[in-house]
Amino acid sequence: MPIVLASRAPWFVAGPLIGLLIVLLLWVTNKPLGALGGYIEFDDWATRARSTLGWRAFFIIGVVAGGTLSALAGPGWRPTLAYGSFDAVLGSALWLKVTVLVGAGILIGAGGRIASGCTSGHGLCGTSLGSPASFVCTTTFMVTAIACTFAIAWVFGV
Amino acid sequence: MYLRDCVGVWRIDMALRLTGFASGVAFGFILGWARLTDYDVIRDMLLLQKPDVFLLMFSAMLTSAAGVRLLRTFKVRSVLDATPITWATQMPERRHLVGSTLFGIGWSLAGTCPGPLAAQLGRGQIAAVFTIAGVLTGIFIHDWIRVRRQSVVTLGEAALVAGL
Repeated sequence: MPIVLASRAPWFVAGPLIGLLIVLLLWVTNKPLGALGGYIEFDDWATRARSTLGWRAFFIIGVVAGGTLSALAGPGWRPTLAYGSFDAVLGSALWLKVTVLVGAGILIGAGGRIASGCTSGHGLCGTSLGSPASFVCTTTFMVTAIACTFAIAWVFGV
Repeated sequence: MYLRDCVGVWRIDMALRLTGFASGVAFGFILGWARLTDYDVIRDMLLLQKPDVFLLMFSAMLTSAAGVRLLRTFKVRSVLDATPITWATQMPERRHLVGSTLFGIGWSLAGTCPGPLAAQLGRGQIAAVFTIAGVLTGIFIHDWIRVRRQSVVTLGEAALVAGL
């Protein structure tokens, strides 16, 4: 594997590449990039609210595949239940991990749905398109997430 | 020459899905390559210990902001359906504050958000299965409540019309 893919991409490579991807997607499809919409399509499909999966669901399937490729090109594909310092900060017991992550996921899913966008949809794409709501959303979830992470670090003392 | 002229409108849907998949692969690869799929990278960012993820997001935003304005200035049309490149913007509402606050708490707890989350799954991080189950459940709960609220409103209107 080329050494450049094995080591972590620096921000000044990954950032502009993601920016170009947003431009390219808009150019080809005239659609704004965003990750949450794919999950919504899966939900609508499962509840029969839509009969087929749209392009946003296929986008998410692509992200999964791209993640696999990045592992194969880098450290190798090794499935693991370990989750970095999450295990040290919040605990490594399986029941705890499942509870916290499912709960956090519900907040992400419902919160993103209410705000009609996530870190990619509002934070990267919406702000670059100059949408005022996206600036409000990005500021709000950044400040909340930073405050919450500091609070967790303070409470658990790590 | 646009794709619409070559394949006809009825095939645009499949081309759109294929483009979605391809751009997803690129997005997932970059997210994994930049290790935005690592709990510790996000935690270090949110503890304001390392600036690189902020710089990554900011440079992505600036690159995109410049690019999309070039597309609009030169009145470029979309490759798939030849529509003029345009986008809608939203004005801030209360729901943006409420939703993004919930979202921020979830992001902090899980150390991930919907994009990197899918890439985590692809990289073999089993924890992503739980978070994804949560995200799908969260969307389901939201939509379920909204549908019930709407049906209550509709029932109320029907009762009014019926003179009850």
